[in-house]
Amino acid sequence: MRRVLAALVMLGVATAAAAALAADPPEIALTIEKNRFQPDEIKVKAGVPFVLVVTNKDAGPEEFESKELRIEKVIPPGKTVRIRVRALKPGAYGFIGEYHEKTAKGRIVAD
Amino acid sequence: MGATFVVTLREGFEAALLLGIVYTCLDKLSARQHYRWVTLGGALGFGASVLMGVAVTLLSGPLLDLGPDLIGIGVVFGAVALLTWHGWWMRSHARLLQDDVQRRVLEAHMTRRLWALALIAFTGVFREGAETVLFLWGLVSQAATGAATWAGAAGGALGLLTAAALGWAVFHGGKRLSVPRFFAVTSVVLLLVAAGLLAAGLGRLQGLGVLPQTEALWDTSAVLDDASVLGGFASGLVGYRARPTAVEVAGYAVYLVGAGLLFFRRPAGERRVGADDAPRATPRTRSL
Repeated sequence: MRRVLAALVMLGVATAAAAALAADPPEIALTIEKNRFQPDEIKVKAGVPFVLVVTNKDAGPEEFESKELRIEKVIPPGKTVRIRVRALKPGAYGFIGEYHEKTAKGRIVAD
Repeated sequence: MGATFVVTLREGFEAALLLGIVYTCLDKLSARQHYRWVTLGGALGFGASVLMGVAVTLLSGPLLDLGPDLIGIGVVFGAVALLTWHGWWMRSHARLLQDDVQRRVLEAHMTRRLWALALIAFTGVFREGAETVLFLWGLVSQAATGAATWAGAAGGALGLLTAAALGWAVFHGGKRLSVPRFFAVTSVVLLLVAAGLLAAGLGRLQGLGVLPQTEALWDTSAVLDDASVLGGFASGLVGYRARPTAVEVAGYAVYLVGAGLLFFRRPAGERRVGADDAPRATPRTRSL
């Protein structure tokens, strides 16, 4: 029973992921350099899903984390990771680089 | 140094707690010879974390975009299933724990289930393992290039050691409790940990857009922030979230009630025998 449930959950995740990858949401570039986000404020349209294309230019890994958006994503050095973000209600949503919390901070503003 | 200490302490705490509990369970069942199963599970969890860290570094494209999320979600729900099974198992065998002869019988039962204890150790370590490995690796590589001092890396290592010490404290504190009391306390702890894990899994599914998004029901970040050390402990122990969504709160509550019944309702047979066999400690059974 649990295995079936787990399989269903995985299938759901895979389907949703595939559907989302097939769609063509707007992309927003975000760069990590010297343990900071560039830009540190991202303006998006409320109600429209988008993709954060995060590139880590540093020598060490970073973890993009937004507690509010329930996103945790490791970005290895020199790599680019695409993070799908759901349609947001108007407001500000903070994010940090968990490995360098003091410097790597930013927010997404939806309006 | 302080910042890196906090990160690894936060990440390592839940693993240490679970390992402490599983080792103590075996100790309570007089099954110390099976410690190596838990050690093996923990070691495999660490190995898998390193592999995952390496894989993430090598991968790119959609595999890197989605792979870690899928594995993370699988591990979270797998851990919930295992902990639920463990809690249920403890309740259904609590009656047998009350004297030594029966405990030996139980231990024989147990040996067939050791893989599950090893898996609990595995998921406990693996859940935050890859992230922690990457974090430490980043610190060390930065320190080696002279970009930062070694203080950061030392802080990270110290955080992990402190988490391990806390697991050790759980183990030693647990050993002092009477058997029925230990299992009663453990059931409560595992219930809360598993409810928290389930809520975390649901939250990640919401973040990925698999589950519909819901508003945060309340905001207690001013009182206790998720990112603080205390918030990290509360998050590992009872699944604390400063801004929980409705789906997370509902999942947490439903699990608490459902699994609570599974863990604490006395089995039908036991109820016929009478209240003396209740799984909770009574003054008489404390002498064990």
